[in-house]
Amino acid sequence: MRLLEFQAKRLFLEHGIPVPRNILLESSSNLENLPYPVMLKAQVPAGGRGKAGAIRSVADANEAALVLGELLNTPIRGNLVRAVLAEEKVEAQKELYLAILIDKLARLPVIMASAAGGIDIEQIARERPAQITTKYIDPFIGLSDYTVRYLAKRIGIEKDLPDLGKLTRSLFDIFRGYDCTLVEINPLAVTSTGLLALDAKVVLDDKAAYRHGDLFRKLEHEKTRSQQANSSKAERLANDKGITYVSLDGDVGMISDGAGTGMLTVDLIKDAGGEAANFCELGGFGGKESMQQALEVVLANPRVKVLLISLIGGLTRMDEVADGIVAYVEGHELAVPLVVRMCGTQEQAGRATLQAVGIKAVDDLPTAICTAVETAGDRDDNSGS
Amino acid sequence: MTILVHESTRVLVQGITGRVGSFQAKVMREYGTKIVAGVTPGKGGTTVDGIPVYDLVEDALCEHKVDLALSFVPARFAKDAAIEAIESGIHVVVLTTGGIPDQDVLTLLHYAAIKGTMVLGPDTPGVVSPSKCKAGVHPDRVLKQGHVGVVSKSGALSYEVCKLLTEHGIGQSTIVGIGGGPIWGLTQGEVLDMFEGDPDTKLVVMLGEVGGTMEHETAAFIEQHITKPVISLIVGRTAPTGARMGHAGAIIEGEGETAESKISALRKAGSLIARDPAEILSRIQALGV
Repeated sequence: MRLLEFQAKRLFLEHGIPVPRNILLESSSNLENLPYPVMLKAQVPAGGRGKAGAIRSVADANEAALVLGELLNTPIRGNLVRAVLAEEKVEAQKELYLAILIDKLARLPVIMASAAGGIDIEQIARERPAQITTKYIDPFIGLSDYTVRYLAKRIGIEKDLPDLGKLTRSLFDIFRGYDCTLVEINPLAVTSTGLLALDAKVVLDDKAAYRHGDLFRKLEHEKTRSQQANSSKAERLANDKGITYVSLDGDVGMISDGAGTGMLTVDLIKDAGGEAANFCELGGFGGKESMQQALEVVLANPRVKVLLISLIGGLTRMDEVADGIVAYVEGHELAVPLVVRMCGTQEQAGRATLQAVGIKAVDDLPTAICTAVETAGDRDDNSGS
Repeated sequence: MTILVHESTRVLVQGITGRVGSFQAKVMREYGTKIVAGVTPGKGGTTVDGIPVYDLVEDALCEHKVDLALSFVPARFAKDAAIEAIESGIHVVVLTTGGIPDQDVLTLLHYAAIKGTMVLGPDTPGVVSPSKCKAGVHPDRVLKQGHVGVVSKSGALSYEVCKLLTEHGIGQSTIVGIGGGPIWGLTQGEVLDMFEGDPDTKLVVMLGEVGGTMEHETAAFIEQHITKPVISLIVGRTAPTGARMGHAGAIIEGEGETAESKISALRKAGSLIARDPAEILSRIQALGV
């Protein structure tokens, strides 16, 4: 989960990382007493906000009201803006970049710093790779003082070393303590009064939510109140039920029991001249209940003309997912034809279960895909005439 | 030969008394795998399908020789179980569990690196050398002994490809699942290196996907070190940017992470490219293996 800027900055403040004075605005907020000129920053979890017109400078309360009205309830990069952060303007002598993240291939946390802050790190990497300094952090040793000295020297801010040391240590505490996959300050401003985090990006590892009490749930809740994703009924349902679901543009609904085979199925639907309506997979160990939920989610999309269920079980047991399909079919009027491909662990039992309610599962994936794509095409023709 | 597992590999199952662990232990045993012991804290002294269960890995090792530990332990206890297996000195540790927090994975992999333990996964279906040893959850019917090595991020995709090969009489030497990421123990390159040295493997099928940049590293490795033919299939050609396609690691976040960029790097490195399992089959048939 990527936190919104105001949430990340609150976390920073709680851990002693200085941020500009700010206040979160909603539509009814009083704008008279802000320390003008201020920056108004739409709270959406997306990069490139400046370019998207989501960060604006305003001179007085009148202008603030105008801009706030423009930003609120406007979709920015797929998200409806519900909250805007007003922040004092800061004079930066220099803008730096500082982040701690996981280097997935090195299998280690890595700290990255650059004197070329204020632009996207991928752009710095492309245009000025020599200006990025990186150091791995040994998980058993943690952040060493020398690492901070090294970074300060390399990015040329030795005079701010004490400040940087304190800030970097806090950033590492947040990274560790909150199970982050990324903590990033870009830009980190060097000002006459010290270092200041002008922006804040924190990504939490959802897999670790269980060990943080209800913190992640509360943050998620607060986030949805402040920014509403432009999501469909199926997406909201999937989110509630914890089903893996990605909305796509076509009309062939798809459920698989593994990620790789699901991606293959979506690719092959396209190769066969069709277009998948979604990607949805059970995560390798789906059972009866998750299959029922997946059916409910995928069929909540009105664009679906045919549903292809693509199953090749290893960890997933076909007898269990077949029970889920039957339970769903018996409880609902199916509005679209169903094509089932089933093989793998306990497949005989699974096929027998489906056969009993008149569903014939095929064994071959390309055959199932062709049938599904043709069926969607036929239903196109029918609706057109 | 074959890699990682062979006829005499002795397997210990962690989490053997759970719903998944007990079922899969039984299936593996029926396949012919030498499951010598299981471990579940608090269940020591019981048995699962005749397999003795111990409270501690060390207790199991007092009674049995073990070459590989296969874990079905739920995510929140998975790091602890892995540390226990690594500390015990078992050489290969296979983590089937998905959803382990990233920082736990970093810790356990760092420990494994210090101890010299090979870790497969997490979120892997395991490893199987058909007709010799199955330390994993692969459905039996897709497997056939032969000379094609398979390395895959996705379990189900490897079943899909092996099913087609097996139906056409083409067997496999070893099928290795490295897991769905986003952080991996053994990598595609390390597994390819093992296949390169394995006399039973004549060519390798590499099944990758969108997200991360491992395939670029793999491509560089193939170019420099692999002489055997490699056929690569990268799924997620139609995956949209920024969406997580099931696997924790399958999300396009940068330019090098698309299927297109990986396919082009692998092709440049000399790998053959297949668009789908059927093309893998026809390429193998053309190579005459």
